[in-house]
Amino acid sequence: MSLIELQDVSKIYRLGSQEIPALTGVSLTFEAGEFAVLAGPSGSGKTTALNLIGCLDHPTSGHVIVNGLDLGTASKKALADFRLQNIGFIFQSYNLIPVLTAAENAEFTLMLQKVPKPERRAKVRKLFVDLGIDGLENRRPADLSGGQQQRVAIARAMAADPHVILADEPTANLDSHTAEELLELMRRLNREQATTFIFSSHDDRVIAQARRVIHLQDGCLADDLTISK
Amino acid sequence: MDLVRLSWKNIWRNRRRTIITLTAIAFSIMLVQALHNLSFGVYAGMVDSGVRAGSGHIAVYRNNYLESRDETLYFKDGSLVDDISQINGVEQVLPRLYIPALAQSSRESRGVMLIGVDPDRERQVNPFLKTLPADGMIRSTDSRDAVVGTRLLHELQIRPGQKFVVTAQNEDGTLHSELLRVRGVVNSGMKDIDSSLILVGLGRATQLTGNSGSVHELAVILADAGLEATVHRQIAAQFAQGQDILAVSWEEAMPNLANAIKLDYASQKFIFMIILLIVAIGVINTLLMSVMERMREFGVILAMGSRPMTLRCMIMLEAVILGLLAAAIGTVLGSLATWYLVAVGIDLADLVPETLEFGGVVFDPVMRASWDPAWMLRIAVYVVCLTLLAAAYPAIKAGRTTPVEGMRHH
Repeated sequence: MSLIELQDVSKIYRLGSQEIPALTGVSLTFEAGEFAVLAGPSGSGKTTALNLIGCLDHPTSGHVIVNGLDLGTASKKALADFRLQNIGFIFQSYNLIPVLTAAENAEFTLMLQKVPKPERRAKVRKLFVDLGIDGLENRRPADLSGGQQQRVAIARAMAADPHVILADEPTANLDSHTAEELLELMRRLNREQATTFIFSSHDDRVIAQARRVIHLQDGCLADDLTISK
Repeated sequence: MDLVRLSWKNIWRNRRRTIITLTAIAFSIMLVQALHNLSFGVYAGMVDSGVRAGSGHIAVYRNNYLESRDETLYFKDGSLVDDISQINGVEQVLPRLYIPALAQSSRESRGVMLIGVDPDRERQVNPFLKTLPADGMIRSTDSRDAVVGTRLLHELQIRPGQKFVVTAQNEDGTLHSELLRVRGVVNSGMKDIDSSLILVGLGRATQLTGNSGSVHELAVILADAGLEATVHRQIAAQFAQGQDILAVSWEEAMPNLANAIKLDYASQKFIFMIILLIVAIGVINTLLMSVMERMREFGVILAMGSRPMTLRCMIMLEAVILGLLAAAIGTVLGSLATWYLVAVGIDLADLVPETLEFGGVVFDPVMRASWDPAWMLRIAVYVVCLTLLAAAYPAIKAGRTTPVEGMRHH
């Protein structure tokens, strides 16, 4: 069984009486350990697809099945628990909690999972070393650079050992050098820890790093290429 | 514990707004606590002065005397005065006989209320008599000495040391007169009392009415007003089965004073409610603004797997922390204000030159507070609960958002 299945998924947003189709009849599967990118211009449906895979939104029609759970049949509470145990998120604008330190931000999902403090401290310390941000544990997000903040966001996403990490334009706010470093980091984590990464991007340099490129165009699946490297 | 820490950090995101809100709530608590303690002190003073000059903390009467004021409803006090005096907490027992009478001087006559008292016992507690000089007090219970209200003295056109006659109905229905001499003058500040009061010894008063050893009232003065309920029960137990004598609290014996205090305190409670309502609006405003500013963050937190209930708990915890902090600061300020009002008070003498009368009692122009810690704690708890209640809407609003909606906020 695939880790993620999208079966004829459509999503229509309603703005007053107006209907805006964001995804139309998309069917996709992702296997564990993939490093895939959803590519396409703005408005092509990348973020909508990530939101559906991440159980943040419900499809208008079709089924989204992640790790055996049909997300359409789950309650709000069950979806929250599912996200907590199975999915990690990395956002374009990092979205760290400003009042928490870098370490506390990274520990946040572990805190929600009620992991004892010493255990989560130890786990985050190791992650910070792996991600090259050790020494920044006690800094607030405002005192970190964009690249450092995104590494903290990756630590936060990785901390709970999710089955899949979804990253929405993770390098869009970073300079090319930092973006390159960060992609290399995600690829290493994918390789070493077999964590599935699915991210969205419209940057060709980022797309070139992926092993699978899924092109979306006006909400439809335009192309699905597996690149052997 | 982690959520408490996060909530604590959250309330200090906007330091200035939190400090302004805390100040407003704390100041309101201080105001309510200090005002209540001031009223508590003033009321306690009025009650104390009222019961000492009036019917005591507890009064003992024949059945129906209180309603009818029928002078034939007297009773033989026998050993009751001594028995009640033995009860723990009783400071003094004052036997009194109330006689409607006519006072006549060589020039004028007036209707009066002649009260037969035990001069030694009465002088120890009655605020009107305490200030009299030693040579202005009734010398013995059978003497012809009388203490007269200042207005009555003026109306009868007599002076201290001069004689006058009082006439009252005897037990047998005939009129009986007694010659009295003005020994002292009472200036209570209350027109009704000063124009109708005559105090004489109890023995002399019973000679007028012919019912020796009888009284209309036993005014029981307590060392501590808080003992009223306990002593009341013990006094009631003194009466024999079938005896138509009853003990009543000062609230029943002096309904004017009790009702005036109730009415005054009710209006204060209304003001307190308005103050607390303003507090609630302030808290709702602060928390709602704080929630609206963090909608995007809530979306992210929900996306990471937080349950909506966790978000709601976080907002409620923020409110609890805000409420507890404000309650602590407010109570410290309230205690300081009360301490000042107990030690120094507010002197109204310059503002109100006339005698201040309230509910039939003259009260001290220097208003002083009294400590009421139980009530201070209660108001602090009320504010914390009110803060929680005010946080309910922002918390529900935060919990209702979905991750996608939240993350769309800017």
